[in-house]
Amino acid sequence: MTSPAQRVVALVGNPNTGKSTLFNALTGLRQRVGNYPGVTVARKSGVCDLGDGTRVELVDLPGLYSLSAVSPDEQVVTDVLSGQAAGEPRPDVVVVVADATNLLRNLFLASQLAEIGLPLVLVLNQADVAKEQGLKIDTNLISQRLGQIPVVLTSAWKGEGVLEVRRAIAKVLKQPVYLPRVVWPEKIRQGFEAIKHSVEQQTKKVITDAEAQRLLFDNNLVLAERLGWAGPDREALLRRARDQVRQSGYNPHAAEPLVHYDRLKKVLEGVLKEGRGKSGRTALVDQVLLHRIVGPIFFIGIMLGLFASVFWLAKFPMNAIQLGVDWLKLTVAPWFETTPMLQSLVTDGIIGGVGAFLAFLPQILILFLFVSILEDSGYMARAAFIMDRLFSWCGLNGKSFVPMLSGFACAIPGLMSTRTIEDPKARLATAFVVPFMSCSARFPVYALMCAAFIGPLYGPGWESAVMVGMHVVGLLFAVPTAFILTRFVLKIRPQPFVLELPRYQMPKPRDVLWRMWQNAAEFVSKAGTVIFAITIIVWALTYFPRQPEVAQQVRAAYPTLSEEELAPKIQGAYTEQSYMGRFGKTIQPVFNACGFDWKITVGVLASFPAREVIVSTLGVTYSLGEGAKADSEHLRKAMQEAKWTEGPRLGKPIFSLATVLALMVFFALCSQCGPTVVTLAQESGGWKWAAISFTYMTILAWVVATILYQVVSRWT
Amino acid sequence: MDLNLDIIIVAAIVGVAFGWLVRYWIAKARRRKTHGCAGDCGCSSKLGKK
Repeated sequence: MTSPAQRVVALVGNPNTGKSTLFNALTGLRQRVGNYPGVTVARKSGVCDLGDGTRVELVDLPGLYSLSAVSPDEQVVTDVLSGQAAGEPRPDVVVVVADATNLLRNLFLASQLAEIGLPLVLVLNQADVAKEQGLKIDTNLISQRLGQIPVVLTSAWKGEGVLEVRRAIAKVLKQPVYLPRVVWPEKIRQGFEAIKHSVEQQTKKVITDAEAQRLLFDNNLVLAERLGWAGPDREALLRRARDQVRQSGYNPHAAEPLVHYDRLKKVLEGVLKEGRGKSGRTALVDQVLLHRIVGPIFFIGIMLGLFASVFWLAKFPMNAIQLGVDWLKLTVAPWFETTPMLQSLVTDGIIGGVGAFLAFLPQILILFLFVSILEDSGYMARAAFIMDRLFSWCGLNGKSFVPMLSGFACAIPGLMSTRTIEDPKARLATAFVVPFMSCSARFPVYALMCAAFIGPLYGPGWESAVMVGMHVVGLLFAVPTAFILTRFVLKIRPQPFVLELPRYQMPKPRDVLWRMWQNAAEFVSKAGTVIFAITIIVWALTYFPRQPEVAQQVRAAYPTLSEEELAPKIQGAYTEQSYMGRFGKTIQPVFNACGFDWKITVGVLASFPAREVIVSTLGVTYSLGEGAKADSEHLRKAMQEAKWTEGPRLGKPIFSLATVLALMVFFALCSQCGPTVVTLAQESGGWKWAAISFTYMTILAWVVATILYQVVSRWT
Repeated sequence: MDLNLDIIIVAAIVGVAFGWLVRYWIAKARRRKTHGCAGDCGCSSKLGKK
């Protein structure tokens, strides 16, 4: 701890700015210097000699990007700077360490710190790298525009500029200078005042503007709880204050960065001069990759390669997993011969269900491998920049493209990758349209229908065309959906797409593998547990009730068939009278307009947890046994021969061209994936939007399938 | 349906799965309410970690 007379100086900055290196240079203490964000997680302090005989206590605070105190590290920083950390004196001066090569992003924290009202020194570190890049920074101009606070260029690892930092701290200690606070729009200011007034009335505590900002802009209520500001009035007041922010034309969650960045852009005007340096190479490459015509072509090529790689490379490990699942089923099944119900639960339910889910793991791994490489190389930022031009008209921005593209492999990683979109509304709009992308689980449905009906009736050319068409259908509906959602429902204000283009660099294998591992572990451990439980419940609904009389009735109806031949028919009869089967018969009138009989209806209903289930469900309902594959000749034949046994279509084929097209379009548009609905709920922070998405997609699928069936059945 | 070991085990498994799912969702909802996020969404709160 410090002596009462000793002044305290806090070192604050974004991770990776060389803050710890500067701390070492200023104090002489040895400390591990990390390359990754968040390396300074503990309190570190040392004595710094300012060169004029003054010695100060220098505290190295954890690296952070903003004052939104969510993590414990960020909480420590806000506590220390506001003088609320137990046993820690409030600093006399704050030294903000910024990366000289990335000024705009780094100065956001400095601009936020101005709200706390402490004297500041601004250190622009990594000046050597900036010089290599040909950047010339006018420190005098920055200082002039930031209230004459000292601005020092340093290269801490070389020891350059460290003496100037000592002098600047000494100067500010003697004569404090403050970075001017940002000018907030009047409505937002009124929001701060209302919050301050309410907290004071309820808790008798006076809070600062900085604390009021945290209460208004942050979602977490840690500060509110700590202040003892609670009760229903709090929520109502925050809602009103956020409405006022909206009236100023800002999204409450994006207002703070937008206001700060508006100010910082003006501060940095004319401050940076780019000369010739290593960045010249980056600029040269960008001239090609960001070119209006060449850029999008290159980008489409990269994305096609990524999509094809995910789709095709994953095919082999997915097949291997499927073979492993089949082998496990065959191995485990004899263990439960004496308990057939348990055998079905273990083999059809647990192994089949979880195995089908795990089969997506290779796609997840390969997708994140390529996405990590593209991100770490610096290309993904360029891709987002290019796509912003195309997506901005329907309210989405460039960052929406990667999740949508991922959705073509599987909606779950697509939804997970919406996390890269900062604006919550844009993230929500993107997450809403991701499930429209034609994921690989729809493929077996299309394959079955095309191989059984389109190919034999119209030839392989039409078969391929329909397959491609089905992959485009989702996109055709996703774009207008996004337009309506962003313009009329979420009312997303066109947001500037603030994006700093990083330097191109070789991705580090360790980082890429780490990210793959993180995503794989999260996929298996978290979603996998939910899938596991849901699978068991769905199995129970399609298995029960199981009356022995059903089997006896089937045996009586087919006295000449062997037990082996009877087994699938008994299975079909059980499915028909299961809770799911009964539900299917009850619901069938709803799907009658789409041309679906009760068996297709059961397949459609059973496919809501996972759409690929329809293949084996149709196999069961058409008495061919479970596990039927898309290329099963028997299933195709049975479907081709299936006829209506009642109603006005008596004797006509169930699977007409109209029914087949309606069924495929229904699967292309319907939200038939339990994990997707769960992930959407997780990513959107609640069940509301997951429920809206599910309802909207299901109704849309029904409407489009009905229209298609009614139109095509009149022509054919 | 006769009550035998088979159905008892299956009922137990289905019951545990259902109970676990309900408990899991309630825990996540509670965490979301108290911490602002369920802690597994990888939101900006995790930006500083790696």
